[in-house]
Amino acid sequence: MTSPPLPGVTLTTHLLINPSHRSIDKALFARVDALLNSMTDAQMKAYLSDTVYLERQRFYADGVTDSDESAAIEGLAHGIHDGPEAMRKAAQVLVKSYSHEIHNRFSERTFGAAMKLAPGALKRLLAPAERGAWRWPDFAKGDHIQVQGPVDKIRALSKTHTLVVAPTHVSNLDSPLVGYALHMAGLPPCTYGAGLNLFSNPAMSFFMARLGAYTVDRRKRHRLYKDVLKAYSTELIARGAHSLFYPGGTRSRSGQLEPHIKRGLLGTAIAAWQEGLQSGNEKPEVLVVPCTLSCSLVLEAETLIEDFLAGQGKSRYIITDDEFSHPTAVLKFVRQLLDLNASMVVRFGEPLDLIGNRVNESGQSVDGSGRSFDRRKYVCDSKDVVVADAQRDRVYTNHLATSLCRAYREDSVALSTHVAAYAGWSCLVERYPHLDHYQRVLLAPFERWVDRTRMLAAIESLLDQIAQKVSDGEMQSLLHEGPDRAEKTLTDAVAAFACFHSRRTLEFEDWRILVDPKLSLYYGNRLSGFDLQIGDES
Amino acid sequence: MNVGIIGNGAWGQALATLAAKAGHQPRIGFRGDRPSGFPGTPNLAALVGDSEIVLIAVPASAVRDVVLSADLDAGMRVVLATRGLAPDTGEWLSDLVLKHTPCRRVGVLSGPAVAAEVVAGRPTALVVASAFDEVCLATQSALHSEQCRIYSSNDMCGVELAGAMVRLLGIALGIAEGVDLGVGSRGVVVTRGLAEATRLGLALGAQPQTFSGLAGVGDLVTCAASTNHPAMAAGRTVARGGTLTEDMLRETRAVLALANREGVELPLAQAVVAICTGEMRPRLAFDDLMRRSARSEG
Repeated sequence: MTSPPLPGVTLTTHLLINPSHRSIDKALFARVDALLNSMTDAQMKAYLSDTVYLERQRFYADGVTDSDESAAIEGLAHGIHDGPEAMRKAAQVLVKSYSHEIHNRFSERTFGAAMKLAPGALKRLLAPAERGAWRWPDFAKGDHIQVQGPVDKIRALSKTHTLVVAPTHVSNLDSPLVGYALHMAGLPPCTYGAGLNLFSNPAMSFFMARLGAYTVDRRKRHRLYKDVLKAYSTELIARGAHSLFYPGGTRSRSGQLEPHIKRGLLGTAIAAWQEGLQSGNEKPEVLVVPCTLSCSLVLEAETLIEDFLAGQGKSRYIITDDEFSHPTAVLKFVRQLLDLNASMVVRFGEPLDLIGNRVNESGQSVDGSGRSFDRRKYVCDSKDVVVADAQRDRVYTNHLATSLCRAYREDSVALSTHVAAYAGWSCLVERYPHLDHYQRVLLAPFERWVDRTRMLAAIESLLDQIAQKVSDGEMQSLLHEGPDRAEKTLTDAVAAFACFHSRRTLEFEDWRILVDPKLSLYYGNRLSGFDLQIGDES
Repeated sequence: MNVGIIGNGAWGQALATLAAKAGHQPRIGFRGDRPSGFPGTPNLAALVGDSEIVLIAVPASAVRDVVLSADLDAGMRVVLATRGLAPDTGEWLSDLVLKHTPCRRVGVLSGPAVAAEVVAGRPTALVVASAFDEVCLATQSALHSEQCRIYSSNDMCGVELAGAMVRLLGIALGIAEGVDLGVGSRGVVVTRGLAEATRLGLALGAQPQTFSGLAGVGDLVTCAASTNHPAMAAGRTVARGGTLTEDMLRETRAVLALANREGVELPLAQAVVAICTGEMRPRLAFDDLMRRSARSEG
């Protein structure tokens, strides 16, 4: 494997996106100050009181009694009682501490190191020789990671535009995977926000730090912290830093493609674009690159589907005790996954403007009829002056979210494990039509089987429908073809499922297939929403 | 404010009257006859280029052509004052703008205003709906006056659906009148019809209160009370054994297809389509509706 060069990664870029604490502090102060200034005293009091309340609640829940964080919050509480000026000053103290916390890992040790070490070191990190019992995953073997999409176009655009890469999110391994795919495609690395909990795995922390991760503490749920994060993201994009957001916000618990898009961080791109236009920035244009990840296996599948079924997706927003928190499990998973063929597909989509329109080779937006147009007018008044309008921009971001969801569907790659799991779950639904989902996942082991012939017929039917959808441009696939394609799909899937999970999703047993309901629901969900039917039993 | 109106029919003229009443000098974009009483131009692209807000008031079947030839760009604010769905494809009219042009600041205007009464200076009210506050504000600025109150809403889907459903229910009212079902039946058609509209609206993400507003109850009450409403007249024609225009027939089918896609049952709309396509006689269709089992009103 030869490492492609990293065009677009220059010292200048590095300096732009690796600013000093002082520079970032100053920028964030200015942004949060502008926000506070836009509020009345009563609004500011309510806004900051909410911060105090939510943080005290968190400290209470976590048993925190004495810390720098709690001291800063109590300082803010005093400030709120002492009047607007004291309130503002106390808020600034908090903003400074948040700024340091967020930006802390984003330093020479992190993003800078990636710039200097890549591409040679990245290759060594990802594909070294076998080291005793701890064989590092051999990414170079076969086509384990396929990178698809209009990468030449995106690479060219990255030189003149700031990119916001927006991947789907299934696993905590997504960030290293996207980082690797960016590298393989010759695209510049991106900065991105990673949850504090993700740094608990030392191996992954090492990778993430080198992929430009800054810190996001998702336990802090108050608006001030979220606004500081947004200000930070806006600042980075405005400075020309290519960024990465997961628009789904968190890993898909159900296994489905992103059903919802969170608008918060996405909205910072449009703010940064307008700032660039207003300030006469040389490179104000920002484009969004959808990125759809399709994986045969998901490390945390068992935990995620349990969380989904328990209806705790929200409350356990931050899962700290999943498979990802065990370094040995991660390495075992990656190693076994890479023994399979075509196990991961990273598909970059057509770049979009911030309203969700596609762009041509030179980055101009094009409408549904294929005509290019001046997108600057979206944010200008009738006198052609850029005008800020937060409500308008929220609607534009909704349009972008709709386009992203469409891109995810069209770029989603159906793999053998998805098809076989979908067929397995659907056959269980067919066998137990009187049960609901929650009852089906609790089927006893002796009830969890489907007839092998029926299963193959279901797979055959699904493959037909998927082929039709692929030819209609509604989705992608990497599946077997030919007369015995159903058998090969099933065999592949059974082999893949056998390699990692503690419970086998599908397993051969004489004339029947044993189906794990939870895991087949999880993996099959990847194809839900495409209106696929397994056909009649007859 | 430069107000551009595309469409020189009765509704286009009525909107121009309202804009003039609100203190503006509207211009009308036309394709056939030159408008009387207001300045006009056949060059739609030039008209929209000069306008701060564009109101489209052409028949639903002509919206696509107008949208394509007007060369709408990313900076424009466009409000569709035409009710219904695209007859050929069943698409929302607002979607035609979004699909074929870069324009995103789109709204819809609907309500109980009757063109002839507006021109005659009678008081009325309309609702403009758009996801963009600025489109609502610009429309209010363009049309609000002591003659016409313009209310705003962010529920574009609801207002657009209400407009389409009112046209379909207007046909139902016309049929009911044509086969002499009595005055009481009008109340039944209005309330149960709006219940169907609300059900479908909820499935599509609309707000239920929209259907009890100007675009729903307001428009339908006007329709039921008007002797010469086009939908009512079409319904009476059908009751007499005549047929709907091709566009109207396609539109009613499109509403039903939409409901089927969403899995929402619309018995009244289904009966209207069955009557209009000649599958059922009007009396028989209404008898079938009456034979449905008793149920809760909600």
